[in-house]
Amino acid sequence: MAQDTARNRLQSGMKKAAALPIEIGVQLWKSVFRHGLPLTDKIATRTALTNYWLHAHPPRIRKSHMKFSYTFCLGGISFFLFVLLTVTGLFLMFYYVPSVQYAYQNMKDLQYAVSFGIVMRNLHRWGAHAMVITVWLHMCRVFYTGSYKPPREFNWGIGVTLLLMTLLLSFTGYLLPWDQLSLWAVTVGTNMAKYAPLAGPQTRFSMLGSYTVGNATILRFYVAHVLGLPLVAAIAMMVHFWRVRKDGFSGNL
Amino acid sequence: MADENESTPNPEGVARPDPITPGASGAAGGAAAATATPTAPAKPAAPPAQRQSLKKDADTSIPSFPALVYREFIASLVVGVVLTAIALVVQSPLQQLADPSMTPDPSKAPWYFLGLQELLSRVPPITAGVAFPTFVIAGLIAMPYLDRNPSRHPRDRKVGIILFTGFIVFSVAFALIGTFFRGLEWKWYWDGILGR
Repeated sequence: MAQDTARNRLQSGMKKAAALPIEIGVQLWKSVFRHGLPLTDKIATRTALTNYWLHAHPPRIRKSHMKFSYTFCLGGISFFLFVLLTVTGLFLMFYYVPSVQYAYQNMKDLQYAVSFGIVMRNLHRWGAHAMVITVWLHMCRVFYTGSYKPPREFNWGIGVTLLLMTLLLSFTGYLLPWDQLSLWAVTVGTNMAKYAPLAGPQTRFSMLGSYTVGNATILRFYVAHVLGLPLVAAIAMMVHFWRVRKDGFSGNL
Repeated sequence: MADENESTPNPEGVARPDPITPGASGAAGGAAAATATPTAPAKPAAPPAQRQSLKKDADTSIPSFPALVYREFIASLVVGVVLTAIALVVQSPLQQLADPSMTPDPSKAPWYFLGLQELLSRVPPITAGVAFPTFVIAGLIAMPYLDRNPSRHPRDRKVGIILFTGFIVFSVAFALIGTFFRGLEWKWYWDGILGR
């Protein structure tokens, strides 16, 4: 009898030990998501409702609003590209000094000396081009589905601001490599500001920090590119997403 | 499942989003949902009254987690992989060091401003450089307030769609011309070939 009990204890102990990883796994999931695995409708809804990272999503969504051919995920992709550009941009900042003296040499370093430097630069550059395109297409999608109509008029305006921020971010970044392409693209671009009525030349001077594109311009564009514009864009994005959430998805044409 | 949907707590008042526009969840939305979700009609046990309500509201809601989150993850993954593939193969341009004393011909703005630059070569600079961009930005922001047509359906919005499409075609065409067809002194590339 005593042996049997010992064997039973051993068996149940082994069973418990075998179940432990699963138990810990479930506990881990619960500690992160505050609810169990989303196996039932109710648990899944509550998980979405009570999670910090998921609270930008509605807890429930209509099946018709999930149609890919309605949104083409363009807004989400634009946001993903913004995040990707922030991450690659941070990496590039470690190797970049915004001055006439160093900027171009830093580009060469990224290309030939820094591990994965050129991949990061390529990701940053092509990601930026892609973002201009996806934000533009997102605007077209919102227009053609009539999603700018009440109650979303204001959010459309925020969206136009975000398109503008995207263009300005891309334009300010264009100068930073300090090659012939940068210098003359920015010279041509800022020349247009000269024609503003009343304070045209002054507008251009305050953009460039000088009469010509030079050291002061690099610094100004750099600060705007890594701090000012992303900050404005991030705030506009917070409002944009919040309004999408509160006004509801348009869907259902 | 349907019962559970009904009993789900609704603390924010948005847990079951209602159709935004009256009549919007009509036949089109219902049909789309029915094709998109093969599981929807698989409820033969429901009593007639409930079946009726299900048919009426075939566009049922599902929890956004994990379905929507999963889709966002997949979309990010696809974009990330494609972009990384491009970044590994296509190199970013890096010309020689900036030289203020050597103006290239033609000097071109970034491609998304080349439409403006093309416009600048055709009309007075105050129009292309200032008036037109200001008009476009102000016009876009004001558009939802000026558009008094309440319908969202394309067949009711012919004028709006024609105007907007015109704007899109115009901007894309000008950007393409500026990018691909302009050479020395902002003349057509083929002018050089034809000896003009």
